[in-house]
Amino acid sequence: MNNNLQRSWLIVPASSADAVAKAAKSGADVVVLDLVELVRDAQKPAAREQCRAAMDAVRACGAQVFAQIDPQHHEADLRASVWPGLDGIVVSRAESPARIMAIDKVLTALETERGMPAGAIGMVLALETARGNQDAYEVASASRRVRALTLGRADLVMDLRPEPSGEIHQMPYLMERLVIIARALNVTPLGAWWRAPDRGLLATAENTLQAAKRGRAVGFKGALCLRADQVEPLNKIYA
Amino acid sequence: MAQQKVRRSGLTMPIVTPRFVDQAWRRGCDFVTLDLEDSVPQNRKDYARTLVKESIPKVTRAGTEAFVRINHEHLQADTAAAVWPGLSRIKYPKTETADEVRALDALITRYERERGIPSGTIEIDPGIETAVGVTNVYDIAAASPRIKEFGATNGGYDMSRDLGVEMFVPYDQFVYLRGEANLAARALGLGVRAAPFIANTTGSVSDGNRALRLAEAARACGLRVGGGGLNPAVVESHNIGYTPSGADVRDAHWVLEQFERLQATDAPWLEVEGRVIDRYEAERARGTLQWAESCAARNREKAEAVAKVRAQLEQQQAQQ
Repeated sequence: MNNNLQRSWLIVPASSADAVAKAAKSGADVVVLDLVELVRDAQKPAAREQCRAAMDAVRACGAQVFAQIDPQHHEADLRASVWPGLDGIVVSRAESPARIMAIDKVLTALETERGMPAGAIGMVLALETARGNQDAYEVASASRRVRALTLGRADLVMDLRPEPSGEIHQMPYLMERLVIIARALNVTPLGAWWRAPDRGLLATAENTLQAAKRGRAVGFKGALCLRADQVEPLNKIYA
Repeated sequence: MAQQKVRRSGLTMPIVTPRFVDQAWRRGCDFVTLDLEDSVPQNRKDYARTLVKESIPKVTRAGTEAFVRINHEHLQADTAAAVWPGLSRIKYPKTETADEVRALDALITRYERERGIPSGTIEIDPGIETAVGVTNVYDIAAASPRIKEFGATNGGYDMSRDLGVEMFVPYDQFVYLRGEANLAARALGLGVRAAPFIANTTGSVSDGNRALRLAEAARACGLRVGGGGLNPAVVESHNIGYTPSGADVRDAHWVLEQFERLQATDAPWLEVEGRVIDRYEAERARGTLQWAESCAARNREKAEAVAKVRAQLEQQQAQQ
């Protein structure tokens, strides 16, 4: 596997060893160990504890590993996930430049503390809120570690729903805006052009293929997904 | 966001046409916009200003909110004429800068004080109708705490003219304009005025069926701010279209029941009958139920007010 490819980003709960093992063998270029969306609050401590082992399980299969962290609990999430072998972090609901700078600082300290090359950990910002999108340029400029931008689950976080045309309300605008800002900052725009009836990052393999085709046409270079059967269509289209 | 006011339907009417203003209470609107602007000829602008104070109670007695649309170029005179007890909002057309909004805010603040209206009562509704307005859209929306709802719908005549684009075309030429205003409203936590794109190649403004389809599509997108009607034929369509249906309410209860089941497990979501159930769906369902309640309360409030007006009229007739 070409280790630099980042066509498909499969998100799995860091707390589920089964899900992690399956994701590691899914063919995804990147496995994202989630500490935010897919983990219940009560299970967060356990998920953090399992993070390092999960990372090793994924790396053993050759995929890159990212951890999705909660900017509200960034210290705990970063301490749990930033170990040698981690490729980067996804910051969910990124919306504050100050918070991105704070995260950058913690990453720098952990890299030193844990014997990792300085600046090794990259950042993907998930601009899922209206504030994050409104201030996208400033947020994405806040750290040199930022490598990519995505709308993540903006449709759910902002409660954007399908129009009669099948477009998700407001998404064509948000996608084009994100692509322009990402290219202006020389970072990678990630995403796919989901339409009704697909929801969030959940869709059938066929609908994922179509979403990826439209996404590639609008400028995206890879996409996040939640199901193993979405990996193959993403790898095919974003090749 | 504060509890959103129920503003599903609204008619804009020339304040100088008594048969419209006198009958406004019969229309069933959530709000009426008394117009000093485009529907009033230049030579009647002075006269129009003298009518605002007496027109407001004619509208509000039916439980309908009274708004006034002022002329951009007559900010001082129109605001002085419009700020009276009972007024809910001033619509400020062709807003182009935040400074303009702040100037209007200062004028309203002054007249609220002078005329015994609690400070901050009257809202401002900036209309984005020009290219310059679009470039300053976020600053305009953020310029005053009197702005509670914000957005741009589908261009409108003024915007189309300013941009040099055609209005009644079968494709969506206002993606960017709508997106900018919509995003600003959401980022500031304001009520979002927006509409999904549905082609209107006829230019009709009095088609009740089309109005219903549009309002229902907007409701399906979670949008709640309606109005903008010019013809009484669309009012009931807007009231119905923006109100959750019985099926919506039943579905919301079903979603919340499924969510209860999910809560008993460790899973982040459940798939039931081909649908995903998670905290986002639960949040949406709770929002639907709350909105249904708000709409029902607003309907009762209006019905009671209208019944009172009718009783008064009957009494007057009996006395004659």
